[in-house]
Amino acid sequence: MLTKRVRKHEAERGPNTHAGKRFAVALLALGVSLGIAACGGGGIESDSGSGNVETVKLQGKPSGDLTISNWPLYIDKQTVPDFEKATGVSVKYIEDINDNSEFLAKMQPLLADGQSGGRSMFVMTDWMAKKMYDLGYLQNLDKAGIPNVEKNLIPSLKHPDFDPNRDFSVPWQSGLTGLIVNTKLAPDVHSISDLFDPKYKGQVEMLTELRDTVPLVMLSMGINPDNATEDDWMAAIDKIKKAVDSGQIRRFSGNDYSRDLANGDAAAIIGWSGDAVQLQADNPDIQFRMPKEGCTFFSDNMVIPVGAPNPTAAEAFMNYVYDPKNQAQITAYNYYVTPVNGVKPILQKTAPAAAKSQLVFPTDQYTKNCVNEPTLEGGEEQRVTRAFEGVLNG
Amino acid sequence: MEAHAATLPAAPRNSIAARAWKWLRHNAVLIFGCLAIAYMLVPIGLIIVFSFNDPVGKFNFTWQGFTLEHWGNAFGISELTDALLVSLRLALFATLISTVLGTLAALAMVRYDFFGRRASNYLIVIPTATPEVVLGASLLSMFLIYGLALGFTSLLIAHVMFCISFVVIVVRSRLIGFDRSLEEAARDLGAGPFSTFLRVTLPLILPGVLSAALLAFALSIDDFVVSNFTAGTTVTFPLYIYGAAQRSIPVEIYVIATMLFAVTLIAMGVTVLQQRRAERLAAVRPQQEGE
Amino acid sequence: MSALRRRLIPYGLLGPGILWLILFFVVPMYFMGRLSLETGVFPTFQFDWHFANYTDALSAYGTQFLRAFEYSAAATIIALLIAYPLAYAIAFRGGKWKNAMLLAVVAPFFTTYLIRTLAWETILSDHSIVVDTLRTMGLVADDGRLLATQWAVIAGLTYNFLPFMILPIYASLERLDEDLIEAAKDLYASASKAFVRVTLPLSMPGVVAGTLLTFIPATGDYINAQFLGGTGQAMIGNVIQSLYLKQTDYPQAAALSFILMATMLAVVFVYIRFAGSEALMGDEAGRG
Repeated sequence: MLTKRVRKHEAERGPNTHAGKRFAVALLALGVSLGIAACGGGGIESDSGSGNVETVKLQGKPSGDLTISNWPLYIDKQTVPDFEKATGVSVKYIEDINDNSEFLAKMQPLLADGQSGGRSMFVMTDWMAKKMYDLGYLQNLDKAGIPNVEKNLIPSLKHPDFDPNRDFSVPWQSGLTGLIVNTKLAPDVHSISDLFDPKYKGQVEMLTELRDTVPLVMLSMGINPDNATEDDWMAAIDKIKKAVDSGQIRRFSGNDYSRDLANGDAAAIIGWSGDAVQLQADNPDIQFRMPKEGCTFFSDNMVIPVGAPNPTAAEAFMNYVYDPKNQAQITAYNYYVTPVNGVKPILQKTAPAAAKSQLVFPTDQYTKNCVNEPTLEGGEEQRVTRAFEGVLNG
Repeated sequence: MEAHAATLPAAPRNSIAARAWKWLRHNAVLIFGCLAIAYMLVPIGLIIVFSFNDPVGKFNFTWQGFTLEHWGNAFGISELTDALLVSLRLALFATLISTVLGTLAALAMVRYDFFGRRASNYLIVIPTATPEVVLGASLLSMFLIYGLALGFTSLLIAHVMFCISFVVIVVRSRLIGFDRSLEEAARDLGAGPFSTFLRVTLPLILPGVLSAALLAFALSIDDFVVSNFTAGTTVTFPLYIYGAAQRSIPVEIYVIATMLFAVTLIAMGVTVLQQRRAERLAAVRPQQEGE
Repeated sequence: MSALRRRLIPYGLLGPGILWLILFFVVPMYFMGRLSLETGVFPTFQFDWHFANYTDALSAYGTQFLRAFEYSAAATIIALLIAYPLAYAIAFRGGKWKNAMLLAVVAPFFTTYLIRTLAWETILSDHSIVVDTLRTMGLVADDGRLLATQWAVIAGLTYNFLPFMILPIYASLERLDEDLIEAAKDLYASASKAFVRVTLPLSMPGVVAGTLLTFIPATGDYINAQFLGGTGQAMIGNVIQSLYLKQTDYPQAAALSFILMATMLAVVFVYIRFAGSEALMGDEAGRG
């Protein structure tokens, strides 16, 4: 029986009898297919995202089921069960977001139709939250349901450019994009420019995320990302391309730079602050370094999509994690910048290392040169993305 | 004529070295085969070993110590277990549907000559010649234009689609050369066509059908590319691994992979034993078709 | 039963399967074709016979196409060199271990593609045992590496598609009547001549099937390039994935997919024409 597990690739050739018949069959099949296809419509060809944005309608106390989508390994194990116990809401927590654009691509048919696939809340980075909002895929929040957010959101995140009144987004975690270095292999790397030093050829990695990598390179070229023109973007991308062609950059990665750093395959990379601390457990030589030119801030935000089945419970969850007590647990696990005020004193008792860390509670001095992730829109976005992806897939 | 003494090899030449060399030459292929199999099992070995790793941090890249903890907690990560269950359910349904459809199609292709047979043959074979990225992308195109929600259903549709072709090919190769005399005998004894199929044909082609089903199951569980395009936000096991691999590889993934490997080894071992039994029984009875 | 019913039986049997394939393989191809002629910015696209998508795609991504062919051709050849002796060993020297060996060949298939590739990432990392050994042997430069180079990608492709090469060749060899080889030997052919004149030609159906089943999926693959490759190893599959899921440039992605598929079909038909249909039908011509 095992011997018969043949996969044979068969195609018949033979004398051209029945040629006319075969042609007729093909035509018939084509006709049937076209007939079916003709009844298509809607979907991506329809115009979506127009007019009014809904606001969440709260309905009394939170109850029922809540489905949340988030990035992998972005929450500790206790928060969700604790929330369930505190509110009686039954939570389904899915970790199916790996990339902002991929998530949009996958969700788009649903969202355009006013549905969210069962999700009441998901977490998107600033620029994608804005993009989705502009497309009409998100709801405005009812601030009455999230008093803790009003009270405890740190001032620097209260009025971001992309959502000046925090109408539709609430930060989940914030972070710094900068250098992560293996101090043994690359002791002298202190700036983005150092990444282009031929001494480290083949040991440098950068992020696949356009808005993390290119602004940092722009900073190293003396360009302020907030004022960057399309030509500035292209110039920075060109500099990266040259580094790729010369073999300076080993690869572009997402979070999986962790493996290369831990192994010693990479010596210095552009990475995210929260990972650096985790990596030290695997290799104590690994450290986050604030680049001399500055860093970029990023924020991942909780948003409520159109068609959310249980927005009341979603807002309750947002409110819950903005209680410093609960947030402290999450912060101690993630080591990212917490958007909630009042967490530091709690951590000083429960996780003093986190309380002291510049990565979790960065001082203004530490981040004096840091900028927010710049925005790109419309045709400019398409062209810049295409150019960058061209370098990634060169 | 008697051999000249000078032509006989001197005793020391028929030495161990010469015999060893001869043994080597004779068994070269087999040795190569064993080395090749060892090569194929290297990553599996790594996976099994690392399933016992005890890393301090989030990452499972360097060996840090032996522990059985993750084996005890194999199903502890709920997202991982959920994804695994989705994959198993998907594979089960996809296997069922594609095996039934494929077997019936194979029967038609092998036993009947009819108008459209050649075109059908092309249609069945071409999906196997299409790169997965194209299969996934075209399905996504269709689902997008129709505005259909992506999820378990779209996954199932996709999986059945790429499995059918393989099922047909496997069952067909089993059917070719099938001895019809048994079926004719059954009919001579008064059995109707349906009953003949159930009682005579099906049991005899069952090994082929089962291997086709096994193949379909394997293809479905292992599929990543087509699923990535058509899953929407449903998470199958390979998709979970892809996502998680970005952040860290919890040891539990290695544990489950080892389990999958072990379970399939056992399942296939059982089928092999089954076959041995069937062969032994067939050897006792007079010569029958069925191999 | 009536003659009409008898004539309808094959259609009844074949119908559901073919219908499924038409609905979910042929029709999607049509839609992909339609998408490939549209333009616009996500998420609104309009159909306007925009054939420029095809020419743009070819000029922008010709390198990745060629690279994909190179890598998968290399992987196919290496796989053939490994698989043929292995299949031969199992078929003719396996004896009672035959099925166990087949199990060993196929079982790794069940640990999921991604995990196997990730395992290779660890095995081939710059300072692993394997790579250090290769360095001492001189196969890898002292300051060189295997991971994030084309060799790692080719190695990954070879490994992942090896079962697709082994099984058809094995099936072909297994059907071989050993009496034929005996006869050749009786006629004073040496072992190697018997192999070249008897075994090899009779196993061609398996070889053809195996090479096609390896080359075609390997060309469209992107996982190996993503995990085992670095900069400069992106294959056409990576580009298609990026266009669909990262850039949401569906028309361009659809055009590229079509070009890939058309090229693959061309390869298949050329190959079959070259190898001859007898090579595929083998001893089944005339049966069934």
